[in-house]
Amino acid sequence: MTASVQSQGSQGGVPDEGQGGGTRDARSAAASGKFGVIAWLRWGWRQLTSMRTALVLLFLLALASIPGSVLPQQGIDPAAVSRYYAQHPALAPVLAKFSGFDVFGAPWFAAIYLLLFTSLAGCVLPRALRLAKSARQAPPATPRHLGRLPYSAAVRTTAGPGQALESAAGVFARRRFRLRTGDGWVSAEKGYLHEVGNLLFHVALLGLLASVALGGLFGYKANRLLVEGDSFANTPTALDVFRPGRLVAATDLQPFSVTLRRFTASYVQSGPERGQPSWFSAALRYTAQVGGPARSYDLRVNHPLNVDGVQVFLIGHGYAPVFKVTDGTGHLVFDQAVPFIPVEQSGLTSAGVVKVPDASPQQLGFAGVFLPTAVDVGGRLASAFPAAVFPRVSLVSYAGDLGLNSGQPQSVYDLDTRHMHRMPVSPAPLAPGQSITLPHGLGKLTFVGYRQWASLAITYDPGQLPALISALAALAGLILSFLVRRRRMFVRVGAAPDGGTVVELGGLTRSDAAGGFEAEFAELAGEIRKAVGGSAAAEARRQPASLVAGTAAGARPGDPVEEPGGEDVAMARKGE
Amino acid sequence: MTRVKSSASRTAWLASAGRAALLAAAVLGVTSCSGGAIGQDTPVSDGQSFVSGSYSSTFYAAGSRPAAPEVGGETLTGQHFSLAGYRGRVVVLNFWGSWCAPCRSEAPALAALSQHFGSDQVSFVGDDVHDSVIAAQAFERTFGISYPSVNDQGEQVALAFHSTVPPDAIPSTLLIDRSGRIAARVVGEVSYSGLRALIAQVLAGKS
Repeated sequence: MTASVQSQGSQGGVPDEGQGGGTRDARSAAASGKFGVIAWLRWGWRQLTSMRTALVLLFLLALASIPGSVLPQQGIDPAAVSRYYAQHPALAPVLAKFSGFDVFGAPWFAAIYLLLFTSLAGCVLPRALRLAKSARQAPPATPRHLGRLPYSAAVRTTAGPGQALESAAGVFARRRFRLRTGDGWVSAEKGYLHEVGNLLFHVALLGLLASVALGGLFGYKANRLLVEGDSFANTPTALDVFRPGRLVAATDLQPFSVTLRRFTASYVQSGPERGQPSWFSAALRYTAQVGGPARSYDLRVNHPLNVDGVQVFLIGHGYAPVFKVTDGTGHLVFDQAVPFIPVEQSGLTSAGVVKVPDASPQQLGFAGVFLPTAVDVGGRLASAFPAAVFPRVSLVSYAGDLGLNSGQPQSVYDLDTRHMHRMPVSPAPLAPGQSITLPHGLGKLTFVGYRQWASLAITYDPGQLPALISALAALAGLILSFLVRRRRMFVRVGAAPDGGTVVELGGLTRSDAAGGFEAEFAELAGEIRKAVGGSAAAEARRQPASLVAGTAAGARPGDPVEEPGGEDVAMARKGE
Repeated sequence: MTRVKSSASRTAWLASAGRAALLAAAVLGVTSCSGGAIGQDTPVSDGQSFVSGSYSSTFYAAGSRPAAPEVGGETLTGQHFSLAGYRGRVVVLNFWGSWCAPCRSEAPALAALSQHFGSDQVSFVGDDVHDSVIAAQAFERTFGISYPSVNDQGEQVALAFHSTVPPDAIPSTLLIDRSGRIAARVVGEVSYSGLRALIAQVLAGKS
C-alpha cells in the first residue's frame, strides 16, 4: 500500500520477513542483559501493535461471535433464552456464567475488541505523528557527491558561484519548492502533499475507528410492529426489540411518538411478476417531542423518517386479523387486531396466535393462518395473491392454561399448548363476520375483519456521519499519496579548474511509484542551465566526473553518452 | 535494522487495516439502506419487551428525588386522570399490560396491597400500555383490581417520564411521594412483601 513512509526505506536495510520486530528487540535486549520492566512493556506493546496480533484478534473476534449466533441472546430474544433454560436446565446456568446469553456484552468479548482497537490505534497514532513531523521537515542538506544520485547533471557557466546558486534557487522558488541553503549548495524539496495524504489517511483511519466506537457506545437499534391506527412512543417499554449501545440509557432516547394511520401496498396484477410488491407506503403522524406539533410523513422503502437524528425505516408489513371473543360467562374479553406473521411471500399466507388469558371459566387460545386471497388447491387452503381479495382465517381452538399467569415471559407469536387441550372444532375457513362457537359453553370467537401492520426499524447511530466523512477522507488521502510524489533537487556550485563555475545538479524521488520525475528533472535542469547561462552539454556532463574524486558517476559504461536530438543537458540515470 | 523491520511489518499491517476500514465503510454504506428489503424477510420481534428474571429496585433518598412529570389521560373506564390531583398522597404507579406474563403474576399482590393501604394514604394507579381496552378490562375483572388505570396505548405516560425515571420494562412500578417526587422505582415483577416494605418506607419519610 502506498501509505508507507519512504524515509525509512532511504535509511537503508532491506525489510526482512518473518519474526515480528519486537521479538528481535527482546532478544537483543536480553543478550545485553538489560531486560527490565520497561523492555518487557515495550516488547508487549510492539507485539500488541504488530500486524500478526491484529489479525489474530480479528480472527478471535469472528470466532467469539459464533456463540452469539448459535445461542439465544437475552437482548434479542429473551423468550428464547427462557425456553433454553427450560430445555437445558443443567447447561444453561453454566453458559450464563460465561455470558453465553449475552455474548456481545460479555467481558471476554469486550476484551477482544478493546485489544483490537488498542492494537489499531497503537499502530496508526505513532505513524500519524511521524508523518506530521515529516511533512513539516526542512529539506536535507545537499549530499557531497551529487553524481551518485539517481538523476544528476552538471552545467558549466562563466557566472560567479554565488550568482549561479542564486539563479538556481530562483528556479526552485518559482516552482514552489521548499528551499534550504548552505555554503555553496541549495537543497529543494517538493511534494509534501504526499505526506499530507498519508497523514490524512492515517488520521481518517483513526476517525473511522472512533466513529464505529461512537455508534457502538451511544447508538441504538430497535424494532416496533405497528398496526394501523395504533401509536407508540420511542421508549424502551414500547419497543419490541431494543438493542442499546453500551452507554445508552433509557433517558437518552429521543422522545418522539409515531402513529400509523394507514398502510398501503400494491402488487403486480398480472404477468410473470404477478404478486410481486410494486409499492409500499405507510402514512405516519408523528410528534418529535412530548406535546409538540404533530406532523405527517409518508414512510416508504428507502425513504426513512428522520427525527432528531434517529432514522425510522419501513422494514416489513403484514396483516392483523381482528377478533372478538366472548367467554363462557358472557363477557366480551377480547376485541383487537392480532398481527400475523407472513410465512410465505407470494400469497402472504400469515400465521399467528390469539391468546385470551382473561376468558372464564377457562383460558382460550387459537392458532392458525390468515389467507389474504384464499383458494382451495386440491383440498388444501392456500393464498393465491398477497392483497386481501378474499380474506379467510382458519383457526385451531384450545382451552386450558396458557402459562401466562406463572410470570414466565413468552412470545406473543407462540402458543404454549402443553397445558391446553385442543377442542373439537373444525378449523374451517372463516369469512369476515363469521364465528366459531366453542363447545361446553366456553365462548365464541368472531373474525371481524383485518387491518394491516407495518414493521418499523428505529436506528440511531451518531457515528454514521463521522464514519462517512472519515471514509471519504481516507480515500482522499490515499489518492493524494498515490498521485503526489515527494522529490528532492540539489545544487552544488564549485570553481572549475580552468576558471568559471560548475553547477552540479542532483535529483531524487522518494517513491518508486509512477514515473514522470525523469521529465521533470530534465526540465528543471534545462531551466537552471538557462538561468545560470550554462554552456554546452557534453562538456557539462563530463566535468563533474573529473571533479568528483574517486567516483566515475556519469562516466560508467552503459550510460548514455549523448542524447539524440542534441539535448543541451546530459543526464545520467542510474538504477533504482 | 529492527526499526526498519518493525516499520515494514507495520506497513503491511496498515494495508490490512486500510482494507478493513474500507470494508467497514462499505458495510456501513450497505446497512444505511437497510430499508430496501421490505417483504423479503419480515424481521418482526419474537416478543414484547419485558423483564425476564431481572429485577431491580431503586430507592431515592428524600433529598434527591426527581419531580414526577405532570401526566394525565383517559382511564380504561373513560374517566379523566391527572397525577397532580394526587398530591398529598403516596402514589403507586404501575405500568402493565394484560398480555404480559410477569404483570399477571404480580397482579394479585398489587390488588391486595391496594386494599391493604387506605386510599387516603396511598393511591394505586395503573398505566396500561400496548394493550386493548377490552382485554385490559377483562384483566382487571380477573384479578379484582379496583384502582384506575390510564388507557395509555400510545405509551405517552411512559414517555413523559423519559427524562427522569423511565419505566425500563413492563412491568415497572414507580412510587411517588406526597410532594409529587419519584421516591422509588421497581423494574420487574413486584412481590407483596417487597412492595409493602417500599411503600412503608416512602410513607415514613417526612416529605
